[in-house]
Amino acid sequence: MTKRQMYMKMLLSSLLRRRSRMTVALLAIAIGATVLLGMMTITYDIPRQMGREFRSYGANMVFVASGKDAMLKLTDVEKAAALLPQESLLGVAPYRYEAVRSNMQPYTVAGTLFDQVKKTSPYWNVEGGWPSEENELLIGSDVAEFTRLAPGNTMTITGRDARQRRFNREMTISGVVRTGSVEDGFLFMRLDTMERLTGRSGEAEVVEVSIAANEAELSALAARIRERVPGITPRLVKRVTQSETSVLSKLQALVTLVTLVVLVLTMICVATTMMTVVMERRKEIGLKKAIGAENRSIVAEFLGEGLCLAILGGLLGVVFGWGFAQTISMNVFGRSITFNFALVPVTILTSVVVTAAACLIPVRRATDVEPALVLRGE
Amino acid sequence: MNELENNILELKDVSMIYGAGGQVKALQNINLTVVQGEWLAIMGPSGSGKTTMMNIIGCMDRPTSGAVILDGQDITKLSPRALTAIRRDKIGLIFQQFHLIPYLTALENVMVAQYYHSMIDEAEALQALTRVGLQDRAKHLPRQLSGGEQQRVCIARALINYPKLILADEPTGNLDEANEKIVLDLLRRLHAEGSTIIVVTHAPEVGEHAEKTIFLEHGRVVKTTRNR
Amino acid sequence: MFCQMLKGALMRQKGKLSMIAFTMALGVSLATAMLGVMMDVGDKVNQELKTYGANLSVVPRGTSFLSELYELEEEDGEDTAPNAANAQKAEKYLAEDELVKMKMIFWAFNIVDFAPFLETAAVVGGQPVTLVGTWFDKHLDLPTGESVDTGMKRLKSWWDVTGEWCRDDEDGAMLGQNLAAKLGLKAGDFFEAATPDGAGRKRLEVRAIVNSGGKEDDQAFVPLRLVQDMSNRPGLVQRVDVSALTTPENDLARRAAQDPNSLSRKEWDTWYCTAYISSIAYQIEEVVTGSRAKPVLQVAESEGAILRKTQLLMLLLTVLSLICSALAISNLVTASVMERSSEIGLLKAIGATGAAVALLILTEIVLTSMLGGTAGYFVGLGFAQIIGRTVFGSAIAVKGLVVPLVAILVLLVTLLGSLPAVRMLLSLRPTEVLHGR
Repeated sequence: MTKRQMYMKMLLSSLLRRRSRMTVALLAIAIGATVLLGMMTITYDIPRQMGREFRSYGANMVFVASGKDAMLKLTDVEKAAALLPQESLLGVAPYRYEAVRSNMQPYTVAGTLFDQVKKTSPYWNVEGGWPSEENELLIGSDVAEFTRLAPGNTMTITGRDARQRRFNREMTISGVVRTGSVEDGFLFMRLDTMERLTGRSGEAEVVEVSIAANEAELSALAARIRERVPGITPRLVKRVTQSETSVLSKLQALVTLVTLVVLVLTMICVATTMMTVVMERRKEIGLKKAIGAENRSIVAEFLGEGLCLAILGGLLGVVFGWGFAQTISMNVFGRSITFNFALVPVTILTSVVVTAAACLIPVRRATDVEPALVLRGE
Repeated sequence: MNELENNILELKDVSMIYGAGGQVKALQNINLTVVQGEWLAIMGPSGSGKTTMMNIIGCMDRPTSGAVILDGQDITKLSPRALTAIRRDKIGLIFQQFHLIPYLTALENVMVAQYYHSMIDEAEALQALTRVGLQDRAKHLPRQLSGGEQQRVCIARALINYPKLILADEPTGNLDEANEKIVLDLLRRLHAEGSTIIVVTHAPEVGEHAEKTIFLEHGRVVKTTRNR
Repeated sequence: MFCQMLKGALMRQKGKLSMIAFTMALGVSLATAMLGVMMDVGDKVNQELKTYGANLSVVPRGTSFLSELYELEEEDGEDTAPNAANAQKAEKYLAEDELVKMKMIFWAFNIVDFAPFLETAAVVGGQPVTLVGTWFDKHLDLPTGESVDTGMKRLKSWWDVTGEWCRDDEDGAMLGQNLAAKLGLKAGDFFEAATPDGAGRKRLEVRAIVNSGGKEDDQAFVPLRLVQDMSNRPGLVQRVDVSALTTPENDLARRAAQDPNSLSRKEWDTWYCTAYISSIAYQIEEVVTGSRAKPVLQVAESEGAILRKTQLLMLLLTVLSLICSALAISNLVTASVMERSSEIGLLKAIGATGAAVALLILTEIVLTSMLGGTAGYFVGLGFAQIIGRTVFGSAIAVKGLVVPLVAILVLLVTLLGSLPAVRMLLSLRPTEVLHGR
């Protein structure tokens, strides 16, 4: 048997035949690694996850026509939308406004794509239903109050089409929308309905875009669109982007700081447990020294054990830490967490360093003492 | 033969004082010579300084003053590291409380001493266990062995590296009569084979097996006797 | 004798027990910091979310729809003139001097900022311009003796202002960047604005150019007093934007928002005394004559969503990290009991019952934990303050509830943590231990 085999044998015997102690130590390391990986994953993923939540504030970019044109071409909008990262693009809602009358009262009616509006403006509070049929109408709550109309009623609207001919159409009110701002005074219909009524198509006045991205990324995207699609001028909705940046950075700072505190404390906990487990073996260290072991070999043995425990504990921690982060992500955001694989070696390395330090301190202290002192008393 | 060269151990004016201000004088001006192949017993009541002396001879502690010459080398001047090397190469230790590594088998406990010393030779370790009559208990853990068996493992471990000096501290202190006899027989056989043995004990029936006995009291040698 | 043994153990095991006390202190400081931050994070984040601006819009009852429509119809300019005139005639207003009452409602402290608006059409250099009168940084003295500063400067934190903020008592203006470009004006320039009928006329200095990324980029903001003078509507405002700290809506709040009268007496009290946006709106309507307060859903709804998520996130982080620190502490207790197995074996060998030994060990550990826990509590307060100061720039108000929570936690964790250790030492056979395992 070589010395190396003997070393391995001693190591394995110590790990396997002192099962209860080693379980305690392993558990401590695994807990530490779990917290480490879990917290770091969450901190890493927080901007993305919270960024999605902030999209509930609605569009953070709008497209308007360039130069003197009042209307955008929808083909241009498609081109621009294709330039945006599809995985973080939540919705693109075009709006086209027309002046109409009903019962001699003037109204503004907006034509849009409702399934996109649901994504770009999730805060719209619709009583009744969204328009699904061609002749259905969504009315603002102020309009509803003024006209005393309710979902299910009909409303006849008149207006002029592109060739200045009058049109007249009876529409069913599918629902009432309440937002607390200008939308309360508008009427909404499907964009294709509006195009048929006015005989003009492929245009919009403004397009609202909701993208899960921070201010810098948005500015870069806007610059790209401006360059590639000359017909469109993208503008950031400053109120939304800037506020998001400031609040999000605070939130991230909060989670980062909390993570830091938790990590430091957990690592110290791991270290104290390891130290207790090692301190228990002072006598063994004394004996080994008495029968002629050099400090170096004793340290090597304990470090070897620590390394095994740290790697095993670190791996367990990676598994449980992923579960930890996933639990939080699913419960808070209802989405799966993005797992950053670079954190795996970081976790294991940290476990190794902390464990090694926690082993070394008591081992060094025990080896520095003359073996007689250790062996003498109980 | 030159008397001086034949000395395996020589203590010159060795004193050991514990505590601040020198309240506890564990050893005072001890002079002692042990020649090769000798069996020496150090006896005395509790607190007479036996264990201190054993620790000094075993290179596990250093005296406050005086010189300890082991195998021609003054060990009081050596670094802890060099002391460890001397302990490993020249001394076999046997303790009252046995002190085995709890998670290693009897055989592995013997092999640990080889491991720290030089080469590992499983056959030789097994042979050492055979010499103490434990060949069939080689794969047992210390907790599965009786006290006597544990002490025999210690003896096997102590002699595995062919030490110049076997140092036993109350080797039978924790044993019953039957086991005491086995252990003493083992020591006697080792002595017959030429090993130098120093036994520290308070039990006269252990001391009487030695060729020479010194009696300690309050850290001083009060009497030296030669048996046979 | 029990006390003597306890004292002996405590005194002689200082090293080992101080390790437990230390770990306990760490765990407790973690718990205190996390609980403290968690309980206060709602208020803090709520405060941060105020950067999104007003979440309540107060308009005169009955005319809100027409006035807003009028604003858009005018742009279209197509055969709507008679209606526009009608609308202006039918327009109703709120009284400026009543606004101060908003700071005297039950939830006055939750009203963070507000600013009134009064718009008028004007002509500048031959071009039509919308002049918006408002408060920039208005100082108000309340009848209660307190005073507040409020206005656009606080409400529109995302505005990018090039130049100086306008003062409320000067003849100045802040122009939206598109408008400024159209008129060719920059900060420091002077211009003359007049109402279309020529009745009101003012010479104004451009104090700043505003980039807001919204419709404000096409407007001119001037002190409220100027618009009131020019359009001869003294002491009147059209609309007030209010930014209020609110509690996320729940079922009760939603029912109340539909119709406050549908609530039972008890529900009504609960609703009225909770900072729901609907109850704040209701209270504003109570004090400002002829007003209607509408929650701005874009801000109000999202605020609720973000707040709930943040609180849930912190709650989960707290719970999980507490579980982890509980595990770590119980682990350490187990380790330290294991270390003393020979002592325990000896005690049992000389005739101590398992229960007696367990009691001794438990008392020892609980006493130590209490000591460590107390120290940890204060360290934790420190941690919470560091987090509060670094992240939010203000102290965290640690609620009194934290103390009993932490105390219960300490006791629970110590006792539960000792369970495996106690079970182990009860099953310990003295012979095994003394045999030198």
